[in-house]
Amino acid sequence: MKHYLLVRIKTSKKTSLLLKLNRLNVDIKEVEYAKDYLKFKILASDLKKVKKYLMRFKVEILDETGIYKLKEELKKNNLIIVGIIFATIVFLILSNIIVKINIVHEDESLREIIGEALTEAGVTRLSFKKSYDEYEAIIESIKESYPDRIEWLEIDVEGMVLNIRVEERIINNYEPDYSTCHIVASKSGIVRSIRSEKGVSMVSINDYVTQGEILINGNISLNEIVKKSVCASGEVYAEVWYSVSASVPLTEEKRKDSGKMRYNFMVKNGSDEYVLLKSRVGEEKRVENVYLFSIFGFEFYLQKEYEVEVETINYTEEEALTKGIDLINEKLELKLDNFESIIEEKVLQNTTKDNNIYIDMFVAVTEQIGVKEYFDETRSDTSDEEYN
Amino acid sequence: MRIMKNIQNFLYDQDYYIDIFQNCLHVYYYLDLLSLSSTSIELKLKEFTLKIEGEDLVVSSMDKHEILIKGKIKNVRFDR
Repeated sequence: MKHYLLVRIKTSKKTSLLLKLNRLNVDIKEVEYAKDYLKFKILASDLKKVKKYLMRFKVEILDETGIYKLKEELKKNNLIIVGIIFATIVFLILSNIIVKINIVHEDESLREIIGEALTEAGVTRLSFKKSYDEYEAIIESIKESYPDRIEWLEIDVEGMVLNIRVEERIINNYEPDYSTCHIVASKSGIVRSIRSEKGVSMVSINDYVTQGEILINGNISLNEIVKKSVCASGEVYAEVWYSVSASVPLTEEKRKDSGKMRYNFMVKNGSDEYVLLKSRVGEEKRVENVYLFSIFGFEFYLQKEYEVEVETINYTEEEALTKGIDLINEKLELKLDNFESIIEEKVLQNTTKDNNIYIDMFVAVTEQIGVKEYFDETRSDTSDEEYN
Repeated sequence: MRIMKNIQNFLYDQDYYIDIFQNCLHVYYYLDLLSLSSTSIELKLKEFTLKIEGEDLVVSSMDKHEILIKGKIKNVRFDR
């Protein structure tokens, strides 16, 4: 690349100067004519010639062009450029460093095992991040090292934080059950259905049984002689009765969004949360956090604050009573399984006091009442499987 | 453009060529710049002298073989 210089030569005899330059075989470009000078681009190699043979002309170098100008600029701004390069390198280094390793599992021993395995593999705090393939290889080696402890392992890189999610392998060791037990009634009631899997059924449908009575016997007898003892199993459903009490307030506060939403910012460091701006939606609010980024272990969130309106609802006694009955039913339904159900319910009494309605109810429920009751017996040599 | 001209020159093996544009004149392979003023420029070429007449004539670029003259060109004459 030719090295051109932009020069200015003071002269009133421009034509004479141009002719002289032509005699000297000096290349000139982009000639600009002014009142008392000529400005043009000249090859740097020709400049010496001009200065030597045209001594009476004052040559002033104004600028350089092309890559030489760039070089000159780089020389002038070397501190800034070095600073930018240094900052870029620092940024690249910092963005590729792990500042925190989160092993997400409740079992401390498993967390320790994985932590040690990661340290052995060179994944430690303040170390450089590794590539996806390297992490995959580490995952495989950890899984191979602890096949009985780890079911699934994942390494997730979030900014400068490494999240390790692990699923523990649960090995179920089914051992033969040599214990002996009866199925006894946990509550008093009228038997409605029996399903006996193991043992001898001692009751019939519509029998009234009291709490603690044996429903399925674990002792298998022949001619009143116990031949074998097993752990009885099965289900006995009976009609049982409950007296249930509940109280329902006659006034209730309902919270709903008013539609007003304002943004805020939140910084999270471990379990500590710091909201950066003053809230603009008042005391009653609901917040949603949107994760933005994390740096040096600090997680930055965009926080959406929704204003919440509190509405007070007054119930009549009838409404409160219905609500109380629904509440009792709902809670009972939660306790009942698929084969259990509410048969009958009746409000015994209701009283209003201190802005609350108190309800006493009688509820009849079909419920599984059979529970295991273990008893000591010499262990049989025949296993349960053989018996079955 | 210059590359094209060089290729043309190589292919046709010409000693010189002159391009006249709206307000400028480009001469390739001139031998000497004989005179120069704002109204007249004389260039020596291989077989003739090229006289350019006009107003506000200026040399815009110039090297050993090539010259670009700008200005209001009124007359171009070949003196053999």
